[in-house]
Amino acid sequence: MTEPVITLRHFFEKAREGQLTAVRCGGCGQLAVPPKEFCPACSARQWEPILLSGEGTIASYTIIRVAPRSHAAEVPYAIAAVQMKEGVSFLGRVVDVPLERIVVGLPVRFRPLTNGGQTAVAFGPA
Amino acid sequence: MRRVAVVGVGVTKFGKHDRTSAELFAEAAAEALTDAGLPAHKVQALYYGNVVGGETEKQLHTGPQAASVLGIPTVPTTRFETACASSHAAFRHAVMEVASGASDVVLVGGAERVLNVTTEESTEYFAYASDARWEQTLGLTFPGVFALVARAHMTKYGTTEEQMASVAVKNHRHGTLNPKAQFQKEITVEQVLKSAMVADPLKLYDCCPFTDGGAAVVLVSEELARQARRPIWVLASAAASDWMLIGDKRDLSRVPATERAAAAAYRQAGLGPGDVDVVELHDCFTIAEIVATEGLGLFEPGTGGLAAEKGWTSLGGKVPVNPSGGLKAKGHPIGATGAAQIAEIVTQLRGEAARRQVDGARVGLTHTLGGNTATVLVSLFGRD
Repeated sequence: MTEPVITLRHFFEKAREGQLTAVRCGGCGQLAVPPKEFCPACSARQWEPILLSGEGTIASYTIIRVAPRSHAAEVPYAIAAVQMKEGVSFLGRVVDVPLERIVVGLPVRFRPLTNGGQTAVAFGPA
Repeated sequence: MRRVAVVGVGVTKFGKHDRTSAELFAEAAAEALTDAGLPAHKVQALYYGNVVGGETEKQLHTGPQAASVLGIPTVPTTRFETACASSHAAFRHAVMEVASGASDVVLVGGAERVLNVTTEESTEYFAYASDARWEQTLGLTFPGVFALVARAHMTKYGTTEEQMASVAVKNHRHGTLNPKAQFQKEITVEQVLKSAMVADPLKLYDCCPFTDGGAAVVLVSEELARQARRPIWVLASAAASDWMLIGDKRDLSRVPATERAAAAAYRQAGLGPGDVDVVELHDCFTIAEIVATEGLGLFEPGTGGLAAEKGWTSLGGKVPVNPSGGLKAKGHPIGATGAAQIAEIVTQLRGEAARRQVDGARVGLTHTLGGNTATVLVSLFGRD
């Protein structure tokens, strides 16, 4: 049996320390995040963990004004799809950027957002 | 495989109800069986859609519950959950059961009850259809998902907020022609643009409402369909999926699952987008209708907004879309929506849609989307 290279727990423990991890396929070189069991490009199962730079640009964004109950106290807040320099993308909160300054193409940098002991992906100014 | 036909349809009034989802389904199912001219005991299986029953009604095992409340407790029944596409997924599997010869009469449908909880609660429960660890922790909502799609579409193609508003205006206009629609009043582009922001750039009137309701359709084999009053044939029923996570999607201006499901459905039916006379599609948000009209091949990528603005998708236009009022005005009881769309297309192809009738409609299409654009069902229907 092959143990997963990165589990969700490992990813978010690293994220809490400020590092974004991904995996690279030993078969075809495809990057994946979050890790998948099989490479969606070549079906190999030979992942190598890599560290991402944390640098990316906003591909799309929204500002949530009506939130789920568990986030109701936080509105308004911004969520963006961010394309990383390495090519993979993450969805994350945008923090420390005034809401009216957020635009598609804005360079951003990863930072962990820890709330109630749980870490989520967020991005701040590059 | 045998040909399969829809011979009965039923839909409750959409809106707020003080009955359980099982009761709402039973009302719709009774209407569908009466329409089909079949007694309840002829039903051999129930394929049932229900999504947040576990949360809003503290009710699981909703398939047998619905069958029991309807009064057919012994039929095999399965609850389908593919978020907002649940009863369309149920429909596809039911079609295969009849086509295979396993059953001759199958009841399909769904129901949902959500207006018994607050908007904050229902927003939370609907968000359970996004990824728990990666997306719910961010406070992502469904308006948020489609706001990301809208921003990407605006950036890539120049689609405008006015064009999105024109989808809402059109569907509200259609809704005034549907006595079962949740909203029966016209709105203006200005009202949409001035409505409260929900998830930039989507405003309140870009969003479909929360809705209670039920819908049902009766499927039969070709042999039984020949004895029916006005069978509507299932020409195709196809499903496609896509990455669950928003971060895994390469181009947020598109819904690849729609493109794949549509291609499969057109292939099954031997038809193309140009053959479709009337469409019921998944306009959970105004941008969703624009992107769906492109993904279904009705309009070129990037021109769905223009099509809405020019009235090409209105009743009387090139390809009428959502004559029922769509999710936007008819309402969106998520477990029932796919079956309700099918009921509308069957009604249209029978020529029984009264003031919202698409004249001479021969081929109809239904499109239902679930979750973060990760599930799409497309079916095609035709009349003799």
